[in-house]
Amino acid sequence: MVFDILHLAIILFLIAGLAFAGGPLILAMLVAPRARGGDLGMSYECGMRPHGNAWSRFGINYYVYALLFIAFDVDVLYLFPAAAHYHLTVGWSAFVEICLFLFFLVLALIYFRAKGVFTWPRKIAL
Amino acid sequence: MNATISFDSVLHVVLALVGVAVFVGLNGLLLVYAERKVAGFIQRRPGPYEVGPQGILQAVADALKLIGKQLVRPDRADPLLFWMAPVLAFFPVLLLFLPLPFSPLLTGWDVNLGLLLILAFAGFNVLALLLAGWGSNNKYGLLGAARAVAQSVAYEIPLLLAVLAIAFQEGTLSLSSIVATQGSMPWQWNIAVQPLAFLIFLISALGETNRAPFDLPEAESELTAGFHTEYSGMGFGMFFLAEYANMIVACSVCTVLFLGGWKGPFLDGAWWFLAKVYALLLAMMWFRWTFPRVRFDQLLNLNWRWLLPLGVLNLLATAFVMKL
Repeated sequence: MVFDILHLAIILFLIAGLAFAGGPLILAMLVAPRARGGDLGMSYECGMRPHGNAWSRFGINYYVYALLFIAFDVDVLYLFPAAAHYHLTVGWSAFVEICLFLFFLVLALIYFRAKGVFTWPRKIAL
Repeated sequence: MNATISFDSVLHVVLALVGVAVFVGLNGLLLVYAERKVAGFIQRRPGPYEVGPQGILQAVADALKLIGKQLVRPDRADPLLFWMAPVLAFFPVLLLFLPLPFSPLLTGWDVNLGLLLILAFAGFNVLALLLAGWGSNNKYGLLGAARAVAQSVAYEIPLLLAVLAIAFQEGTLSLSSIVATQGSMPWQWNIAVQPLAFLIFLISALGETNRAPFDLPEAESELTAGFHTEYSGMGFGMFFLAEYANMIVACSVCTVLFLGGWKGPFLDGAWWFLAKVYALLLAMMWFRWTFPRVRFDQLLNLNWRWLLPLGVLNLLATAFVMKL
Protein backbone atom coordinates (compact mmCIF):
# COMPACT_ATOMS: atom_id res chain seq x y z
CA MET A 1 0.00 0.00 0.00
CA VAL A 2 1.30 3.41 -0.93
CA PHE A 3 1.10 6.12 1.68
CA ASP A 4 -0.68 8.84 -0.23
CA ILE A 5 -2.24 12.19 0.52
CA LEU A 6 -5.51 10.67 1.74
CA HIS A 7 -3.79 8.79 4.54
CA LEU A 8 -1.88 11.92 5.47
CA ALA A 9 -5.14 13.88 5.48
CA ILE A 10 -6.87 11.33 7.72
CA ILE A 11 -3.99 11.33 10.19
CA LEU A 12 -3.81 15.15 10.21
CA PHE A 13 -7.55 15.49 10.77
CA LEU A 14 -7.49 12.95 13.61
CA ILE A 15 -4.59 14.71 15.31
CA ALA A 16 -6.40 18.03 14.94
CA GLY A 17 -9.49 16.40 16.46
CA LEU A 18 -7.43 15.36 19.47
CA ALA A 19 -6.01 18.86 19.86
CA PHE A 20 -9.42 20.45 19.42
CA ALA A 21 -10.82 18.22 22.18
CA GLY A 22 -7.81 18.26 24.48
CA GLY A 23 -7.10 22.02 24.24
CA PRO A 24 -10.17 23.29 26.09
CA LEU A 25 -9.83 20.51 28.67
CA ILE A 26 -6.23 21.47 29.41
CA LEU A 27 -7.15 25.16 29.46
CA ALA A 28 -9.94 24.42 31.91
CA MET A 29 -7.51 22.48 34.06
CA LEU A 30 -5.20 25.53 34.16
CA VAL A 31 -7.71 28.30 34.87
CA ALA A 32 -10.46 26.53 36.81
CA PRO A 33 -10.59 26.56 40.61
CA ARG A 34 -9.34 23.48 42.40
CA ALA A 35 -11.68 22.73 45.25
CA ARG A 36 -11.25 19.42 46.99
CA GLY A 37 -12.25 17.59 50.13
CA GLY A 38 -15.67 16.95 51.55
CA ASP A 39 -18.02 14.96 49.37
CA LEU A 40 -16.81 16.52 46.11
CA GLY A 41 -15.59 13.20 44.78
CA MET A 42 -18.72 11.29 45.68
CA SER A 43 -20.70 9.74 42.84
CA TYR A 44 -23.90 11.56 42.06
CA GLU A 45 -27.03 9.74 43.09
CA CYS A 46 -29.64 12.47 43.53
CA GLY A 47 -28.00 13.81 46.68
CA MET A 48 -28.00 10.57 48.64
CA ARG A 49 -24.92 8.58 49.55
CA PRO A 50 -24.40 6.09 46.70
CA HIS A 51 -25.69 2.66 47.50
CA GLY A 52 -22.99 0.21 46.53
CA ASN A 53 -20.93 0.31 43.39
CA ALA A 54 -22.18 0.86 39.86
CA TRP A 55 -19.78 -1.78 38.59
CA SER A 56 -21.95 -4.65 39.64
CA ARG A 57 -24.35 -7.09 38.01
CA PHE A 58 -27.23 -5.43 36.24
CA GLY A 59 -29.79 -6.70 33.76
CA ILE A 60 -28.41 -5.76 30.36
CA ASN A 61 -31.55 -6.76 28.54
CA TYR A 62 -30.49 -5.18 25.27
CA TYR A 63 -27.82 -7.73 24.50
CA VAL A 64 -30.06 -9.70 22.14
CA TYR A 65 -30.35 -6.55 20.06
CA ALA A 66 -26.58 -6.42 20.01
CA LEU A 67 -26.44 -9.95 18.57
CA LEU A 68 -28.93 -8.94 15.93
CA PHE A 69 -26.89 -5.84 15.19
CA ILE A 70 -23.71 -7.82 14.60
CA ALA A 71 -25.57 -10.15 12.25
CA PHE A 72 -26.84 -7.19 10.28
CA ASP A 73 -24.00 -4.75 10.37
CA VAL A 74 -21.29 -7.11 9.22
CA ASP A 75 -23.48 -8.38 6.41
CA VAL A 76 -24.66 -4.98 5.29
CA LEU A 77 -21.03 -4.03 4.87
CA TYR A 78 -20.79 -6.60 2.06
CA LEU A 79 -23.47 -4.70 0.21
CA PHE A 80 -21.29 -1.62 -0.27
CA PRO A 81 -18.97 -3.17 -2.88
CA ALA A 82 -22.06 -4.74 -4.42
CA ALA A 83 -23.68 -1.30 -4.57
CA ALA A 84 -20.71 0.25 -6.33
CA HIS A 85 -20.81 -2.37 -9.09
CA TYR A 86 -24.50 -3.14 -9.36
CA HIS A 87 -25.17 -0.69 -12.20
CA LEU A 88 -22.51 -2.44 -14.30
CA THR A 89 -24.11 -5.88 -14.07
CA VAL A 90 -26.03 -7.36 -17.00
CA GLY A 91 -29.17 -9.46 -16.67
CA TRP A 92 -31.15 -10.49 -13.62
CA SER A 93 -28.63 -12.75 -11.90
CA ALA A 94 -27.23 -9.90 -9.78
CA PHE A 95 -30.72 -9.00 -8.60
CA VAL A 96 -31.40 -12.62 -7.64
CA GLU A 97 -28.15 -12.73 -5.69
CA ILE A 98 -29.05 -9.56 -3.78
CA CYS A 99 -32.47 -11.05 -3.06
CA LEU A 100 -30.93 -14.24 -1.68
CA PHE A 101 -28.49 -12.27 0.47
CA LEU A 102 -31.19 -10.04 1.93
CA PHE A 103 -33.51 -13.04 2.43
CA PHE A 104 -31.05 -14.66 4.82
CA LEU A 105 -30.58 -11.35 6.60
CA VAL A 106 -34.29 -10.89 7.12
CA LEU A 107 -34.53 -14.50 8.27
CA ALA A 108 -32.63 -13.48 11.43
CA LEU A 109 -35.18 -10.75 12.01
CA ILE A 110 -38.09 -13.18 11.60
CA TYR A 111 -36.44 -15.66 13.94
CA PHE A 112 -35.96 -13.08 16.68
CA ARG A 113 -39.48 -11.84 16.24
CA ALA A 114 -40.90 -15.37 16.55
CA LYS A 115 -38.75 -15.88 19.64
CA GLY A 116 -40.40 -12.88 21.26
CA VAL A 117 -37.43 -10.52 21.49
CA PHE A 118 -39.50 -7.55 20.31
CA THR A 119 -42.30 -8.16 22.83
CA TRP A 120 -42.10 -6.04 25.96
CA PRO A 121 -42.17 -6.73 28.82
CA ARG A 122 -40.11 -9.82 28.25
CA LYS A 123 -42.06 -13.06 28.16
CA ILE A 124 -39.04 -15.26 27.48
CA ALA A 125 -36.16 -16.26 29.69
CA LEU A 126 -33.02 -14.92 28.10
CA MET B 1 -5.86 16.41 -8.44
CA ASN B 2 -3.29 13.63 -8.18
CA ALA B 3 -3.02 11.47 -5.12
CA THR B 4 0.66 11.77 -4.40
CA ILE B 5 2.01 13.97 -1.65
CA SER B 6 3.01 17.30 -3.13
CA PHE B 7 3.22 20.78 -1.73
CA ASP B 8 -0.08 21.77 -3.36
CA SER B 9 -2.01 18.81 -2.07
CA VAL B 10 -0.67 19.18 1.46
CA LEU B 11 -1.52 22.87 1.39
CA HIS B 12 -5.03 21.98 0.22
CA VAL B 13 -5.48 19.51 3.08
CA VAL B 14 -4.14 21.91 5.70
CA LEU B 15 -6.41 24.72 4.45
CA ALA B 16 -9.34 22.32 4.55
CA LEU B 17 -8.40 21.35 8.09
CA VAL B 18 -8.28 24.95 9.27
CA GLY B 19 -11.56 25.71 7.50
CA VAL B 20 -13.30 22.71 9.03
CA ALA B 21 -12.01 23.48 12.54
CA VAL B 22 -13.26 27.08 12.30
CA PHE B 23 -16.57 25.91 10.84
CA VAL B 24 -17.13 23.37 13.64
CA GLY B 25 -16.18 25.84 16.37
CA LEU B 26 -18.36 28.66 15.07
CA ASN B 27 -21.25 26.32 14.42
CA GLY B 28 -21.06 25.03 17.97
CA LEU B 29 -21.68 28.56 19.21
CA LEU B 30 -24.28 29.32 16.55
CA LEU B 31 -26.28 26.14 17.10
CA VAL B 32 -26.36 26.49 20.88
CA TYR B 33 -27.79 29.97 20.43
CA ALA B 34 -30.18 28.85 17.68
CA GLU B 35 -31.43 25.91 19.70
CA ARG B 36 -32.18 28.04 22.73
CA LYS B 37 -33.89 30.70 20.64
CA VAL B 38 -35.95 28.08 18.82
CA ALA B 39 -36.86 26.48 22.14
CA GLY B 40 -37.84 29.89 23.48
CA PHE B 41 -39.93 30.67 20.43
CA ILE B 42 -41.77 27.34 20.56
CA GLN B 43 -42.38 27.63 24.30
CA ARG B 44 -43.48 31.28 24.01
CA ARG B 45 -40.64 32.85 25.98
CA PRO B 46 -37.81 35.09 24.75
CA GLY B 47 -34.94 32.63 25.22
CA PRO B 48 -31.45 34.08 25.81
CA TYR B 49 -31.87 37.84 26.04
CA GLU B 50 -29.31 39.47 28.30
CA VAL B 51 -25.81 38.95 26.84
CA GLY B 52 -25.44 41.19 23.81
CA PRO B 53 -28.30 42.36 21.57
CA GLN B 54 -31.00 39.67 21.54
CA GLY B 55 -28.66 37.52 23.63
CA ILE B 56 -26.47 36.85 20.64
CA LEU B 57 -23.32 36.49 22.73
CA GLN B 58 -24.90 34.03 25.13
CA ALA B 59 -23.12 31.04 23.60
CA VAL B 60 -19.73 32.78 23.95
CA ALA B 61 -20.48 33.48 27.60
CA ASP B 62 -21.48 29.84 28.06
CA ALA B 63 -18.26 28.61 26.49
CA LEU B 64 -16.18 30.85 28.76
CA LYS B 65 -18.15 29.67 31.77
CA LEU B 66 -17.55 26.04 30.85
CA ILE B 67 -13.81 26.63 30.59
CA GLY B 68 -13.81 28.35 33.98
CA LYS B 69 -15.43 25.41 35.72
CA GLN B 70 -13.56 22.80 37.65
CA LEU B 71 -13.22 19.39 36.06
CA VAL B 72 -14.39 17.01 38.75
CA ARG B 73 -13.78 13.30 38.58
CA PRO B 74 -15.61 11.08 41.07
CA ASP B 75 -13.19 9.26 43.37
CA ARG B 76 -14.42 5.87 42.31
CA ALA B 77 -14.37 6.51 38.58
CA ASP B 78 -11.74 5.01 36.31
CA PRO B 79 -9.38 7.95 35.60
CA LEU B 80 -8.20 6.79 32.19
CA LEU B 81 -11.59 5.84 30.75
CA PHE B 82 -13.29 8.83 32.37
CA TRP B 83 -11.01 11.37 30.67
CA MET B 84 -10.68 9.41 27.46
CA ALA B 85 -14.41 9.53 26.76
CA PRO B 86 -14.91 13.27 26.05
CA VAL B 87 -11.73 13.38 23.96
CA LEU B 88 -12.78 10.29 22.03
CA ALA B 89 -16.23 11.77 21.43
CA PHE B 90 -14.65 14.66 19.55
CA PHE B 91 -11.65 12.76 18.12
CA PRO B 92 -13.18 11.70 14.74
CA VAL B 93 -15.50 14.69 14.29
CA LEU B 94 -13.22 16.85 12.14
CA LEU B 95 -12.41 13.91 9.88
CA LEU B 96 -16.11 13.45 9.12
CA PHE B 97 -16.04 16.79 7.31
CA LEU B 98 -13.13 15.80 5.07
CA PRO B 99 -15.10 14.23 2.20
CA LEU B 100 -18.11 16.58 2.38
CA PRO B 101 -18.56 18.60 -0.83
CA PHE B 102 -19.72 22.07 0.24
CA SER B 103 -19.28 23.13 -3.38
CA PRO B 104 -17.08 21.86 -6.24
CA LEU B 105 -14.31 24.14 -4.97
CA LEU B 106 -14.97 23.79 -1.25
CA THR B 107 -14.32 20.08 -0.83
CA GLY B 108 -11.84 18.91 1.77
CA TRP B 109 -10.76 15.96 -0.33
CA ASP B 110 -12.86 14.09 -2.86
CA VAL B 111 -12.55 10.56 -1.46
CA ASN B 112 -13.94 7.83 -3.70
CA LEU B 113 -15.12 5.94 -0.60
CA GLY B 114 -16.30 9.11 1.16
CA LEU B 115 -19.60 7.65 2.27
CA LEU B 116 -17.91 4.66 3.86
CA LEU B 117 -15.30 6.89 5.51
CA ILE B 118 -18.00 8.94 7.22
CA LEU B 119 -20.01 5.91 8.31
CA ALA B 120 -16.94 4.13 9.65
CA PHE B 121 -15.59 7.00 11.73
CA ALA B 122 -19.02 8.08 12.95
CA GLY B 123 -19.10 4.75 14.79
CA PHE B 124 -16.52 6.07 17.27
CA ASN B 125 -19.23 8.08 18.96
CA VAL B 126 -20.87 4.97 20.41
CA LEU B 127 -17.59 3.91 21.96
CA ALA B 128 -17.17 7.34 23.58
CA LEU B 129 -20.64 7.21 25.11
CA LEU B 130 -20.02 3.69 26.38
CA LEU B 131 -16.70 4.67 27.98
CA ALA B 132 -18.26 7.76 29.53
CA GLY B 133 -21.05 5.78 31.14
CA TRP B 134 -18.88 2.89 32.26
CA GLY B 135 -15.85 4.91 33.31
CA SER B 136 -17.75 7.30 35.57
CA ASN B 137 -18.91 4.45 37.85
CA ASN B 138 -22.35 5.94 38.25
CA LYS B 139 -25.57 3.98 38.00
CA TYR B 140 -27.33 6.57 35.87
CA GLY B 141 -24.27 6.78 33.68
CA LEU B 142 -24.15 3.03 33.23
CA LEU B 143 -27.83 2.78 32.32
CA GLY B 144 -27.47 5.72 29.95
CA ALA B 145 -24.49 4.09 28.29
CA ALA B 146 -26.33 0.77 27.87
CA ARG B 147 -29.17 2.65 26.25
CA ALA B 148 -26.86 4.70 24.07
CA VAL B 149 -25.21 1.58 22.69
CA ALA B 150 -28.46 -0.31 22.11
CA GLN B 151 -29.94 2.72 20.37
CA SER B 152 -26.97 3.76 18.27
CA VAL B 153 -26.26 0.30 16.95
CA ALA B 154 -29.95 -0.25 16.22
CA TYR B 155 -30.40 2.94 14.23
CA GLU B 156 -27.19 2.47 12.32
CA ILE B 157 -28.70 -0.34 10.26
CA PRO B 158 -31.69 1.44 8.70
CA LEU B 159 -29.32 4.36 8.15
CA LEU B 160 -27.00 2.08 6.20
CA LEU B 161 -29.90 0.59 4.26
CA ALA B 162 -31.15 4.05 3.27
CA VAL B 163 -27.65 5.06 2.21
CA LEU B 164 -27.26 1.80 0.30
CA ALA B 165 -30.41 2.49 -1.71
CA ILE B 166 -28.76 5.66 -3.01
CA ALA B 167 -25.43 3.89 -3.51
CA PHE B 168 -27.13 1.19 -5.59
CA GLN B 169 -28.89 3.79 -7.66
CA GLU B 170 -25.82 5.93 -8.28
CA GLY B 171 -23.25 3.14 -8.44
CA THR B 172 -20.70 5.21 -6.51
CA LEU B 173 -19.69 5.91 -2.92
CA SER B 174 -18.10 9.27 -3.67
CA LEU B 175 -20.13 12.17 -2.31
CA SER B 176 -19.10 14.52 -5.12
CA SER B 177 -20.24 12.05 -7.78
CA ILE B 178 -23.58 11.58 -6.03
CA VAL B 179 -24.15 15.34 -6.14
CA ALA B 180 -23.01 15.47 -9.74
CA THR B 181 -25.71 13.02 -10.88
CA GLN B 182 -28.49 15.16 -9.42
CA GLY B 183 -29.95 18.20 -11.14
CA SER B 184 -30.53 21.74 -9.94
CA MET B 185 -34.30 21.58 -9.70
CA PRO B 186 -35.96 19.99 -6.63
CA TRP B 187 -37.65 17.30 -8.75
CA GLN B 188 -34.25 16.26 -10.06
CA TRP B 189 -32.96 15.56 -6.56
CA ASN B 190 -32.81 12.04 -5.18
CA ILE B 191 -35.59 12.77 -2.70
CA ALA B 192 -38.00 12.68 -5.64
CA VAL B 193 -37.12 9.08 -6.49
CA GLN B 194 -36.25 7.86 -2.98
CA PRO B 195 -38.72 9.54 -0.60
CA LEU B 196 -38.92 6.49 1.66
CA ALA B 197 -35.15 6.26 1.97
CA PHE B 198 -35.08 9.98 2.85
CA LEU B 199 -37.62 9.45 5.62
CA ILE B 200 -35.77 6.42 6.99
CA PHE B 201 -32.49 8.33 6.85
CA LEU B 202 -33.91 11.33 8.69
CA ILE B 203 -35.46 9.25 11.49
CA SER B 204 -32.33 7.13 11.85
CA ALA B 205 -30.15 10.22 11.92
CA LEU B 206 -32.20 11.53 14.84
CA GLY B 207 -31.73 8.21 16.61
CA GLU B 208 -28.06 8.05 15.77
CA THR B 209 -27.29 11.55 17.07
CA ASN B 210 -29.35 10.96 20.24
CA ARG B 211 -31.69 13.83 19.49
CA ALA B 212 -35.16 14.12 20.95
CA PRO B 213 -37.60 12.38 20.61
CA PHE B 214 -34.91 9.69 20.76
CA ASP B 215 -32.68 11.23 23.45
CA LEU B 216 -33.12 8.28 25.80
CA PRO B 217 -29.41 8.01 26.75
CA GLU B 218 -29.65 11.38 28.50
CA ALA B 219 -33.31 11.36 29.45
CA GLU B 220 -33.15 13.85 32.31
CA SER B 221 -36.47 12.91 33.86
CA GLU B 222 -35.39 9.33 34.49
CA LEU B 223 -31.59 9.18 34.30
CA THR B 224 -30.55 12.65 35.56
CA ALA B 225 -28.20 13.23 32.59
CA GLY B 226 -27.52 9.68 31.45
CA PHE B 227 -24.02 8.92 30.32
CA HIS B 228 -22.63 12.39 31.13
CA THR B 229 -24.09 12.66 34.65
CA GLU B 230 -20.64 12.90 36.26
CA TYR B 231 -19.10 15.29 33.74
CA SER B 232 -18.68 18.93 34.69
CA GLY B 233 -17.47 21.96 32.79
CA MET B 234 -15.62 21.27 29.59
CA GLY B 235 -15.96 17.49 29.88
CA PHE B 236 -19.67 17.97 29.32
CA GLY B 237 -18.92 20.71 26.80
CA MET B 238 -16.99 18.29 24.60
CA PHE B 239 -19.89 15.81 24.43
CA PHE B 240 -22.16 18.71 23.58
CA LEU B 241 -19.91 20.06 20.86
CA ALA B 242 -19.47 16.58 19.39
CA GLU B 243 -23.23 16.09 19.36
CA TYR B 244 -23.78 19.32 17.46
CA ALA B 245 -20.98 18.54 15.03
CA ASN B 246 -22.46 15.10 14.44
CA MET B 247 -25.80 16.72 13.74
CA ILE B 248 -24.19 18.91 11.11
CA VAL B 249 -22.53 15.89 9.52
CA ALA B 250 -25.78 13.92 9.49
CA CYS B 251 -27.64 16.84 7.90
CA SER B 252 -24.84 17.40 5.38
CA VAL B 253 -24.85 13.76 4.32
CA CYS B 254 -28.62 13.92 4.03
CA THR B 255 -28.28 17.02 1.86
CA VAL B 256 -25.71 15.35 -0.37
CA LEU B 257 -27.61 12.10 -0.76
CA PHE B 258 -31.16 13.33 -1.11
CA LEU B 259 -31.35 17.09 -1.55
CA GLY B 260 -28.91 17.69 -4.38
CA GLY B 261 -25.98 18.96 -2.30
CA TRP B 262 -24.73 22.32 -3.55
CA LYS B 263 -27.12 22.35 -6.50
CA GLY B 264 -30.22 24.45 -6.46
CA PRO B 265 -32.44 26.62 -8.64
CA PHE B 266 -30.95 29.78 -10.21
CA LEU B 267 -27.37 29.55 -9.02
CA ASP B 268 -25.47 26.47 -7.82
CA GLY B 269 -23.02 26.92 -5.01
CA ALA B 270 -22.10 26.51 -1.39
CA TRP B 271 -24.98 28.75 -0.26
CA TRP B 272 -27.50 26.13 -1.39
CA PHE B 273 -25.62 23.47 0.53
CA LEU B 274 -25.56 25.57 3.70
CA ALA B 275 -29.19 26.65 3.29
CA LYS B 276 -30.31 23.03 3.06
CA VAL B 277 -28.14 21.92 5.97
CA TYR B 278 -29.44 24.68 8.22
CA ALA B 279 -33.02 23.98 7.17
CA LEU B 280 -32.55 20.35 8.24
CA LEU B 281 -30.89 21.43 11.49
CA LEU B 282 -33.78 23.75 12.27
CA ALA B 283 -36.19 20.90 11.55
CA MET B 284 -34.26 18.72 14.01
CA MET B 285 -34.58 21.42 16.68
CA TRP B 286 -38.22 21.83 15.86
CA PHE B 287 -38.74 18.07 16.38
CA ARG B 288 -36.94 18.24 19.69
CA TRP B 289 -39.23 20.87 21.15
CA THR B 290 -42.40 19.46 19.60
CA PHE B 291 -42.40 15.71 20.16
CA PRO B 292 -42.41 14.06 23.58
CA ARG B 293 -39.71 11.52 24.31
CA VAL B 294 -40.58 7.95 23.36
CA ARG B 295 -40.30 4.96 25.69
CA PHE B 296 -37.25 2.78 25.22
CA ASP B 297 -39.05 -0.33 23.97
CA GLN B 298 -40.99 1.86 21.53
CA LEU B 299 -37.71 3.26 20.31
CA LEU B 300 -36.16 -0.13 19.69
CA ASN B 301 -39.29 -1.67 18.22
CA LEU B 302 -39.89 1.23 15.87
CA ASN B 303 -36.48 0.49 14.50
CA TRP B 304 -36.51 -3.30 14.32
CA ARG B 305 -40.15 -3.73 13.37
CA TRP B 306 -40.66 -0.88 10.94
CA LEU B 307 -37.60 0.97 9.77
CA LEU B 308 -35.48 -2.09 9.13
CA PRO B 309 -38.00 -4.15 7.09
CA LEU B 310 -38.99 -1.01 5.21
CA GLY B 311 -35.34 -0.27 4.53
CA VAL B 312 -34.75 -3.77 3.17
CA LEU B 313 -37.86 -3.57 0.98
CA ASN B 314 -36.82 -0.16 -0.30
CA LEU B 315 -33.39 -1.51 -1.17
CA LEU B 316 -34.91 -4.47 -3.00
CA ALA B 317 -37.31 -2.20 -4.86
CA THR B 318 -34.39 0.03 -5.90
CA ALA B 319 -32.43 -2.96 -7.18
CA PHE B 320 -35.53 -4.23 -8.99
CA VAL B 321 -36.37 -0.95 -10.68
CA MET B 322 -32.78 -0.54 -11.81
CA LYS B 323 -33.01 -3.83 -13.69
CA LEU B 324 -36.22 -2.89 -15.52
